[in-house]
Amino acid sequence: MAAGVASPMLRVTALGALGGLAAGPLVLLAVTSVAHHWYWPALVPPQWSLRAWAYLATPGAGVIEAAATSAILGTVVAGTAVAMALPAARALAARHVRGRRVVLFGLLLPVLAPPLAAAMGLHSVFLRLGLTDSHLGVALVHLVPAVPYATLVLAGSVANFDTDLEAQARTLGARPAQVWWHVILPAVAPGLAVAGIFAFLISWSQYLLTLIVGGGRVLTLPLLLVGFVRGGDEAVGAALSLVFIAPPLVLFAGVARLLREFR
Amino acid sequence: MRTGRLRHGFSVVLCAGVALAAGCAPEPAGPDLRAADLAATPWETIRAHARGTTVHVGMWAGDEARNRFFQGPVTEAVAAELGVTLRITPLADVADLVSKLLNERRAGRRSGGSIDVVWINGENFRTARQAGVLWGPFADHLPNIVHYPDAAKHRDFGTDIDGFEAPWEVAQFVFAYDTARITDPPRTLGALRQWIERHPGRFTYPAVPDFTGSAFLRHVLVHASGLDPEAFLHFDEARYAAASARALDFLAAIRPHLWRGGETYPATPADLNRLFVNHEIDFSMNYSPSFASDRIARGEFPETVRTFVLEEGTLSNYSYLAVPFNASNPAGALAVIDHLLSPAHALARVRAIGGLFPQSVESLTPGDRQAVALLPRGPATLAAETLARHRIPEPDAEYLVRFERDWLREVLQQ
Repeated sequence: MAAGVASPMLRVTALGALGGLAAGPLVLLAVTSVAHHWYWPALVPPQWSLRAWAYLATPGAGVIEAAATSAILGTVVAGTAVAMALPAARALAARHVRGRRVVLFGLLLPVLAPPLAAAMGLHSVFLRLGLTDSHLGVALVHLVPAVPYATLVLAGSVANFDTDLEAQARTLGARPAQVWWHVILPAVAPGLAVAGIFAFLISWSQYLLTLIVGGGRVLTLPLLLVGFVRGGDEAVGAALSLVFIAPPLVLFAGVARLLREFR
Repeated sequence: MRTGRLRHGFSVVLCAGVALAAGCAPEPAGPDLRAADLAATPWETIRAHARGTTVHVGMWAGDEARNRFFQGPVTEAVAAELGVTLRITPLADVADLVSKLLNERRAGRRSGGSIDVVWINGENFRTARQAGVLWGPFADHLPNIVHYPDAAKHRDFGTDIDGFEAPWEVAQFVFAYDTARITDPPRTLGALRQWIERHPGRFTYPAVPDFTGSAFLRHVLVHASGLDPEAFLHFDEARYAAASARALDFLAAIRPHLWRGGETYPATPADLNRLFVNHEIDFSMNYSPSFASDRIARGEFPETVRTFVLEEGTLSNYSYLAVPFNASNPAGALAVIDHLLSPAHALARVRAIGGLFPQSVESLTPGDRQAVALLPRGPATLAAETLARHRIPEPDAEYLVRFERDWLREVLQQ
């Protein structure tokens, strides 16, 4: 009886604590972006100012263009990464593949290497290919960390897929394309959505690869943000951080809802 | 198996796509101007070459006032006077660009680079110069270079400039305190040590490799040695051994009395400023002499904050503008740099974003001299004469590299 009373309360407290942990930094950023003269011993900001937000809205600040560039890059990278990752994940999920672990480890190498070393190596390769200082080059270089992540995420959901279903569909006269469209894709769709989000986020948050391979010609949100966060203007840094966090949050919420509908 | 062939075919299509894209990339155009031809090229020819082009300037862009100034008045002035489109590329750390240039040099990409002008100095200039990734020499050919003192043109953190960068802004290290808490701050290194020992936990400095933390360490290195700061202009092994031993003694002695017992250090000046305004520590420090005034204006510091310098002097340096070896538009780069070296730009910049006036007043017209005298100064910024009287030069960069390493080993990891 006592346990029955305590456990819902415990659950609410635990959920509240988790929610607070997640929301706390966002609230702090939101307050910092509008606070004026906010320091000890003031618990709440004594004055408010929209200076930072007004700056982000000025055309010269380039925030809107950078956000658009980031969003287009992220979408292209997510789509391409998922398209590349799905066949790879299916191959890896097949148990008879020899050296699976070696391939998995190889896939993770670009993610495991120190960022600067990896960026410099990739830059050399892209220079030889003539792909530097361009949007195409930046999209391709974002694929290098995005594809392994997407593959790993997809491998999990593909492993649960019963390949006998494909055989059944083909026995019933479905062409390969029909098997893909009507059988495989619906079954792995939730996995694809999650892998796509991962790939989008990886592209969305790249700083070094975008700067080095894009040569500063491809201006994304992280390029604007990092300067403000490293030793600069706190309010603008906080406002820009919120602009940076908002789209992924919306995306997550949307996909979470989609996944619930699938169940 | 059929699915196997399908997978294979998919990757072939992708590779073909990449190769096609690579083949289609346009060949970069060759430079329109070579540094070797500069002496024989009249300035008017360079301006004519520059007209109608776009110049990409790589610089730190993390401050609202600064960004507004460059995106607004400077871009407009460059368009009106030179017919040049200015594009600012935000660089959080110039070292990233230098790494990129090193890669491009190794790959033989001698033209078509993405950046035409870069704001640089110190260690990054040394690395770039030694690796041969800068275009020049050019600085002595700029008409407006006459407005800068000779001292700014020769050596940058001990590295010979040889015309590969042009002086632009000047900075000087200052400490900040809050007059609401402290009436008389310690104004010598010895007094600072006594103050720290008497007020445990109330002082700290950013850990290297942070730029501000590194500058604080250099003050200790130079002043604890008891030597003339000029003695550090050229690297000397024996001098370093003696000076670093004394400086490390000083830092080890204050360490237990620092914030959190010296077990941890703030990582950035932003962290240091937050500790300062939240009354966890009583001093901040910065390489920008107007940083406290800027933060008062932004509502980040209380109005009672003031700055001070050490009696022995504080480090001062120029920052410079350079041209990458593979700049796409060297003529445009030179025209823009010369504009940024003009007295009109220097006056407008100090008015808009603070800082020190970097040029020698003797070189100016009477009208400009008067304008310099009337330049506004923030409430927490020291008078230009006070700063000038306490100005000491930066040591050779080798001292900095060595002492940062020794600090990590002897102080941080003890």
